Amino acid sequence: MKKDTEVNLMHGAGGEVMGELLQTLTAFKNNNAGGIGLESLDDGSTFTVGGKTVILTTDSHVVKPIFFPGGDIGRVAVSGTVNDLSVMGARPIALTCAMIIEEGFPIADLEKIVASMDETLGEVGASIITGDTKVVEKGSLDGIVVNTAGVGVIEEGGFLIRDRNLAVGDKIIVSGTLGDHGLAIVSYREGFDLGDQLKSDVAPLWKMIEAAMKAAGNGNIHAMKDPTRGGFAACINEMARKAGVKVVVREDTVPIRESVASAGSLLGIDPLQVANEGKCVMGVAPEAAERVLAALKSHPYGKNAAVIGEVVEGSGVVMQTRIGGERFIEPPLGDPVPRVC
Amino acid sequence: MKSGKIILRGIVQGVGFRPFVYALAQRYEMCGTVINHGSEVEIDAGGENFDEFSREVAKGPKMAVIDSVSVQPLPDWIPPKGFFILKSQDGARTGFVPADIATCENCLHDIMDPNSRYFGYWATSCTDCGPRYSIINSVPYDRERTSMDEFPVCKACLNDYEDPGNRRHHAQTIACTECGPKLSLLKGSGEFVQTADPIAAAAELLDAGNIVAVRGVGGFHICCVEKTAERLKTLLGRPNQSLAVMMKPETIREFVVEPTKDEWDLLKGPVHPIMVLDKLDPESHGSLSSLHNLGIMLPYTGLHHLLFAKLRSPLLVMTSANAPGTPMITETKTIIEKMGRVADVILTHDREIVNRCDDSVVRDGYLIRMSRGFAPLRTRMDLGDRQILGVGPELNANATIYKGGFLITSPHIGNIRNPPTVAYLEETIEKLTSLTGSVPEIIAHDLHPQFLSTRVAQELAERYGATLCPVQHHCAHIASVTTGEVVGIAIDGVGYGDDATIWGGEILAGSPANGYIRTGHLEPVMMPGGDMATKFPERMLYGILPTEETLALLQSRGWNDTALRILSQQTEKRFNTPVTTSTGRVLDAAAALLGICRERTYDGEPSMMLEAYAARGVAQPMEITIESRDGRDVLSTPALLREGMEMMSEGICAEDIAASIQTSLAKGIAELALAGVEKTGIRKAALSGGVAINRQIRETIILTLRESGVSCLTNPRYPLGDGCISCGQVITAGILAKEGRI
Ligand SMILES: [Fe+3]
Ligand SMILES: [Mg+2]
Ligand SMILES: [Zn+2]
Ligand SMILES: [Zn+2]
Repeated sequence: MKKDTEVNLMHGAGGEVMGELLQTLTAFKNNNAGGIGLESLDDGSTFTVGGKTVILTTDSHVVKPIFFPGGDIGRVAVSGTVNDLSVMGARPIALTCAMIIEEGFPIADLEKIVASMDETLGEVGASIITGDTKVVEKGSLDGIVVNTAGVGVIEEGGFLIRDRNLAVGDKIIVSGTLGDHGLAIVSYREGFDLGDQLKSDVAPLWKMIEAAMKAAGNGNIHAMKDPTRGGFAACINEMARKAGVKVVVREDTVPIRESVASAGSLLGIDPLQVANEGKCVMGVAPEAAERVLAALKSHPYGKNAAVIGEVVEGSGVVMQTRIGGERFIEPPLGDPVPRVC
Repeated sequence: MKSGKIILRGIVQGVGFRPFVYALAQRYEMCGTVINHGSEVEIDAGGENFDEFSREVAKGPKMAVIDSVSVQPLPDWIPPKGFFILKSQDGARTGFVPADIATCENCLHDIMDPNSRYFGYWATSCTDCGPRYSIINSVPYDRERTSMDEFPVCKACLNDYEDPGNRRHHAQTIACTECGPKLSLLKGSGEFVQTADPIAAAAELLDAGNIVAVRGVGGFHICCVEKTAERLKTLLGRPNQSLAVMMKPETIREFVVEPTKDEWDLLKGPVHPIMVLDKLDPESHGSLSSLHNLGIMLPYTGLHHLLFAKLRSPLLVMTSANAPGTPMITETKTIIEKMGRVADVILTHDREIVNRCDDSVVRDGYLIRMSRGFAPLRTRMDLGDRQILGVGPELNANATIYKGGFLITSPHIGNIRNPPTVAYLEETIEKLTSLTGSVPEIIAHDLHPQFLSTRVAQELAERYGATLCPVQHHCAHIASVTTGEVVGIAIDGVGYGDDATIWGGEILAGSPANGYIRTGHLEPVMMPGGDMATKFPERMLYGILPTEETLALLQSRGWNDTALRILSQQTEKRFNTPVTTSTGRVLDAAAALLGICRERTYDGEPSMMLEAYAARGVAQPMEITIESRDGRDVLSTPALLREGMEMMSEGICAEDIAASIQTSLAKGIAELALAGVEKTGIRKAALSGGVAINRQIRETIILTLRESGVSCLTNPRYPLGDGCISCGQVITAGILAKEGRI
């Protein structure tokens, strides 16, 4: 395929095409401050201050629409950063918030967004301690862009978790139903009347992940990642590729809400290929899997958690289907773009 | 005495070449030696009748393909006393191995003759027949490099093998009850069943309505008699798919119209393919085929012949043992594991199947599936010095390799969509490269960025340090027919276009060397829900005709309000509605319109069902609307379907409407091609693509072109469908490479 010369929307969709853009955007030589750096393309990065490891991450958020069933851009902005810290095993402590606002944006909406951010922070005991605001001319962006950055630390008894350390034998656990956010946003935005109202799963996961880490015991969660853009499919493929292993998923164990599955089949969209904003995917040492699962289930955000597969030698991600066949789970090219073959 | 060294190149292995030479040497009283180097036979011979001898030798035995013969002088040659066959040696490997050959008349006679020592032996073969490709590990083809190596010959077989006067002189697969592979009967669970005659026991069980898995030449079949067919389809989860059947030649005319002479020759020849033939009564034998035709083959191994000798039923369903879209099962332990719940018993043998090979399928003289007996297919063509691999498309794929003036295409592999089939593609490529001793320098693949075959190509390119060469799907279709300049007509289900939309009804004028110009195509239409629209053709109908009438029709068919609302919203907003010019999708939509097929349960079902209806109908003329857009001619398919819908409301029967839509679509496509002829001045056409398997469409296109004085080429050696793509890819890459453009 021809290499693109200009940025297009596919580049931001979290699919395979985005990887090409990332090569350009991560071409820094100064990319590591003595820890996990930009080169790792992990959920966040680390550096050391006074002998203590600090985790740092950042994320910009544009959501259309700004308010949607189950959440809003503010909740997404805080949860996104909180979750990127959490999936590295770090307690989120402090966040920054930068907003770029289009001229004419309703103040009342800003109030709602801020209140929602505050509520989300409160759930995990983190704070926004600095910020920045820019207002731009009408038409130069669509409504509002919210950027948050956050720092976190590894707690006493906690441990740093990477997205690249899946080990053969690990159980793959997802913390709940997949595809909720992506299909909710799509159907709400496009005005699809699906009968059932779909709700986004956007949520800050630190408390749930903290409980899971405690239950697991030191180091027993080998790898973790949040399946945001590109969905579970992109996430699990990236994890498998980085670790040089194969993941086998059993279709009948993958938690997907009835309403999400039916919306997916009406629209021709695979729930595994669209974003989640309140879920994590982990590879857990087999002996710790039951404990971790129980801990996840005891938390409201993890009550639909399930063991959905395991890690074996090889490469790629394979789904064992209900009818006894096998198919590849492939990262989407874009989101949501049908394969059409 | 005159002497000389005769070198014959070509397919000279596994065809009884050395015994053939030996017999001639005896007849012409020659002395000397013959040796097989893999792809060439070298004869040092001397005698009074040297000229006659060398003339006869150059003809080769029946199954051989001779590419070249050369005769050189033999100075200082000391003739041996007599004529001797020397042991095979490794050599140049362009000749490749022959395909598997159906049991010959002579061997069949031996099997049925109580006085023969091969009487009743299921794996009887000779130099003229028996397994080849399916048992070969490496070349040269000698017993020790096949799975027959496990079975040391007995004394009697050794005598036959060494006896120059014997038909089995140097037959690598020689075997008998004493020394050869043995049959056994198992329960579905794998438990051994004690029986003196496994074949007789299996026949009895089949007649009684049991399902039996039978291990054949290139894989397992699942077999049953007609009355068990419904149960079998239910168990296999293929409720609507037609099943191939096996029967004796004398039974054929009770089921289908008499095959033509050519068809009989093919049915009874070395290949013994499945032949799709029209049923006498289109609606008969519905449990075997819901279509107007039936796929029939004749018994092609000793095992089949013996089974039919014991069977009371006139036919056996013989369908490949595999899950849909995955490779045919070859191993006994796999059949127990995967089909143990379907098969009541398993009739198996202990000869390993080294290379899987499904049955070939032929219809109207065209290949639908190129496999056992046809493949590996070897085609002579000069594409230069570089070695080229074509990995094929995604559906109905095979692989082709080019080396030193020859294209070699593998047997049918399948749909490269799931792990087992990807693995099978990789194995097949491995096999092709090792048998031909090639290292690909150029790897051609489909343009679709997400095809798994494209990924395989990328990985192999890295491993071999080869150059990648993407080839557009429909250009590959046309290139497989001819390297000349033509107006190409590529009509199929799907292919990735160079504008990133989905093509499949294309007029491509040009040649592989100069490239093709897309002078015309079908109307680009929406596929609501992407791939969902191929599974549920009614979505496709709405994508082509997004009107209130269509919604009302779907509602009357039981679509619920939510689904209808979403379908129309999605189409209006163009949300997840990729655009296609596919001919297959138009036929799908027509099948949906007429209520013939609402859900596709196997590849091609809607269009095959449409064809079956059309075969019973009378076509009425329809208006053909072609307009010029961006310099290209566009045939309106919505107009055809709209007219079909009007005919429905006039109460015209589905059969007639199906025939009308098919013929008009075909005429429209021919008009598009003629417009391309007009534009480019190229007065020759070429037709390829899976839709061309449809007889009415193919013949209408060819006839319409002929009426305007334009002849239309097709490729009789490669499948009309995607089985020709890997070949077209290699040809395209080879021509570009020869011109120094890769
Ligand atoms: Fe095709
Ligand atoms: Mg992340
Ligand atoms: Zn024979
Ligand atoms: Zn023997």
